[in-house]
Parts: sequence; structure tokens; C-alpha cells
Amino acid sequence: MKTFFKALGNLFKKPVTIKYPFEKTYIPDDYRGVIEFDENLCIWCRRCEMACPPGAIVFSQDMEGKQTYHYNKAVCIFCKECVRNCPKEGAIFQTGIPARFALKEDNINNGWNILYDEALKSRDAYAAEKKRLAAKKAAAAKTVVEK
Amino acid sequence: MATQYEIPVGAQHISLLEPLHFKFITENEKIVDTTANVFYVHRGIEKACCSKFKFRQVSFVVGRVCGLCSISHTTAYSQVAEKLIKIEIPLRAKHLRMLVIELDRIHSHLLCLSHVAENSGFEALFMKTMQYREAFMELLEAICGNRIQYDFSIVGGVARDLKPEVGQMIMERLKKFKPQLDELVDIYQNNWSLSLKNKGAGAITKKDAMRLNVVGPFARAAGLAIDVRNETEDLLPWKEVGFEIVTGTAGDVYARNMVRLGEINVSMRIIENIIKGLPESALITETKAFPDGEAVVRIEAPRGELFYYAKGNKTQILERLKIKAPTFSNISAMVEGFKGNEYGSVPAIIASYDPCLSCTAR
Repeated sequence: MKTFFKALGNLFKKPVTIKYPFEKTYIPDDYRGVIEFDENLCIWCRRCEMACPPGAIVFSQDMEGKQTYHYNKAVCIFCKECVRNCPKEGAIFQTGIPARFALKEDNINNGWNILYDEALKSRDAYAAEKKRLAAKKAAAAKTVVEK
Repeated sequence: MATQYEIPVGAQHISLLEPLHFKFITENEKIVDTTANVFYVHRGIEKACCSKFKFRQVSFVVGRVCGLCSISHTTAYSQVAEKLIKIEIPLRAKHLRMLVIELDRIHSHLLCLSHVAENSGFEALFMKTMQYREAFMELLEAICGNRIQYDFSIVGGVARDLKPEVGQMIMERLKKFKPQLDELVDIYQNNWSLSLKNKGAGAITKKDAMRLNVVGPFARAAGLAIDVRNETEDLLPWKEVGFEIVTGTAGDVYARNMVRLGEINVSMRIIENIIKGLPESALITETKAFPDGEAVVRIEAPRGELFYYAKGNKTQILERLKIKAPTFSNISAMVEGFKGNEYGSVPAIIASYDPCLSCTAR
């Protein structure tokens, strides 16, 4: 009976729920949000890529050896493992901004997998090219010495 | 002999939180026999942990085994990995791990209690309990930066520090929660309509609980005083922070509710003690060692004893990882507990077991 009257009393209380799109929900200031990258500070050691549990970071490389950073917000689990493993402070950091959900148009799964494979291939291609050039240089040096 | 009817419940049913299949054989509303099938959500996590992920990344993978006891899984894995690479973690990290485990226990127990109320047909109490639970979700968000997947324990320590203002926020919330908990205890203890569904339903004796190897609040409600926090001291100093075991006697749904409410009380005391006496030290022990040898770890998750076994072979990738979730130990007793009950009280009994099947099937 006591519970019944208490339940009736709740009719006249303010609602405890939040009208979400119109009111803001609680987000702490050190919320685990999107990872940001600073190209100018990076030393291109790729440790963040190696540490990332879901594989949301990948570096591709062009034939001149310049690396490009790729990041997928939808794959990221915001664990901050990349930031902890980064030897250069500030090159990669976590913001408090919650990630936007991915839409079908973003082609997150398929597109990202293709990009990931291509990035790995581009690195292999660069490494092979470098090896070939080094071998060529060594051969040239050898011929010079022989002459 | 009366006619026997077979009633299937699940794998999708309105009173179930997770995919779980029960087949009840009833005689005039009385259940005489039950069979259970729980392995609907196998995801191959153990195999993934031993093939795709490096051992430092596995602590994030096992955090996804279960949403409710995420921190128990990550902590258990971190501890087993620390045993393999033979390091001791800082004292502050140990205390912070205990803090998050206890907050997680409170929110998990409140969720279970609310579902017992809902499945017993008391929706207003369900909403009230969920409302109080929300405060703890926000606290966990403030500490870990996320509501559910905490990723708080990592191999070697913890990922984030506790800010002083967050500590203060926890103390304020706990102070506010104390009268609310008293109110909940009063309702769960004395409400007449709830007692009709809860008292005497799903009872299991102490002898059966011991025979069927029951763990967690399920066992403690039957009078079996087993709690990993009471038994181990080497990895996390539970007794130092004021742990006490809570047991019941009857072993029915009502006793389980009372044990859970009592444990929330103990958890609140532990949290207060931890925040008052938080030692100052580093958060992570750094090492470059690789896992080698074998190790086992037991930890008390909200649902009971969680067991981890790992084997390393001096490489980045583990050779074997075995997870034994608390619900797995309880399945045989879950089936036993239905016998002799009315079919109508089944939803409340299932909710009071607090089954976590994504843990069990992994």
C-alpha cells in the first residue's frame, strides 16, 4: 500500500529522463573520443599502428617514401593504446569529441578493408623498390671498384 | 499420472535478456523436468585471442566478452598476463582496479534486481531501480571515459588515473545513494505482491548448491560461503579495504535479492575506503618481456567466480587462453532450481539467476 501511494506521488514529480536531442546528456570532459593526428610532429615509427587492437590506424607509403596516415573512426574502440605507445608526445592524441556513427554511404567495412590492404601493399612495394635500388647501387659500386 | 506438456522458452523470449533456450516438461503447471541450451552466441573469442591479437591487445578483446562484467574480464586477463611476464603492478593500480570492479558490481546487481522486479510483474520497481543504476553508469563514465566497455585494466596496470574531482563526485553520489538503497531494501523485503512471486520460488538447498558447484550470489543465497574475494589475497587486497561476505539461507529468489542488496552495501563501503585511502604511486609497470609458461587467475565477477588460464610461448601471441565464466558453473543448478515450481514463476527465477550467456558461450 505504501508503495502504491509512493507510485502515485511520482505522478507529480519532475521526470528523471533527459529529452536527449533537445537537452545535453552527461559527457565527462575526459571522455574517450576520436583520435587526432598531427602530421608535423610524427616521426613515422608506426608504433600506433602496431599497438592498435582493432586495426583502425594504417600508414600507406608512396614511391618517394612519404607516408600517409589513415584512421577509421568506426573501427576505433577509443582505447588510447596508440597514444600510450607513441614515443613522440602530441603526435597522436585523444579528443573528447564523441565519434559520429558511420552511415552506409561511408562504406566503412568494405572500403576500409580495401584501403588497409592497399596501404600494406604500397608499403611492400616501396620496400621492394628500395631493395631493388639498393641492389642496383651496390652492383654499380661493385663495377666501379672492379674497373 | 497427469498429462505432461512440453513448453519451450527461448531462444528469443520476452522475459529473456539473452539467447537462452529452456524446455520445461510440466504436469498441471508444475515443472517436473527442464533442459537448457545456452550456447547460442559463440563468437570464437578464445581462438581470436590466440591467433590474431598480440598479448597486450587481448585485454581489449576480452573486455568485449561481456558488457556487464567487462572490467572483471579485463582485470582477470591483465592479471594472468602479468603472471606470465612476471611483473608486480603498482599499489595504486590495484586499488583503482578494485574501485572499478566494485562500481561495476553495483550496477550489475541493480540491473539484475530490476529485471527480477520486472519479470515478477512489478514494472514501477524496475524503473526505480534502473533510475538509481544510472548514477553508477555516469560514475563509471567519469572514471573510465565510457559507459560500458571500460578498457580500464591493461597489462601492467591501469589505463587512466582517478581525478580528485571524480573521487569527490563518487563520494557525493554514494551519500545520495544510501537512502535510496534503504528504500530499495525496504521494497524488496516487505512488498507483499513481490513476495508472492519471489518467496520460495526457485529454491535450491545448500547441499545441492555444493553438489552442483554453484558460484556467486546464487551460491551465497543458498548459504554456501564462497567468494573469491574471501579466498585470495595475493593479487588484489580485498580484506584490507573492508570486504565482508554476505550470505543468505533460503536459496530462493527472495534470498538472492537480499544477498545482492547486501553486496551492494558492502561494495559501497569498499569504494569509500578505497577513495579515502588511495595510495600514491605510478600507474603502470613497464616491461618488454614476452609471456612464458602457464598461469591461472580467479576473480570474483558480479555473477561469481571467473577463471582465466593462459599459456605463453615467448612470442607476442599466446598459445592458449581459456575463459570459464561464472554462468557456465551455474547451468546445472539453474536446471535443478526450476523443479517443483509453478510455470508462472519461471521468468522471475530466470532473471534471479542473472545468466550472462555472452560470457558463457564467448
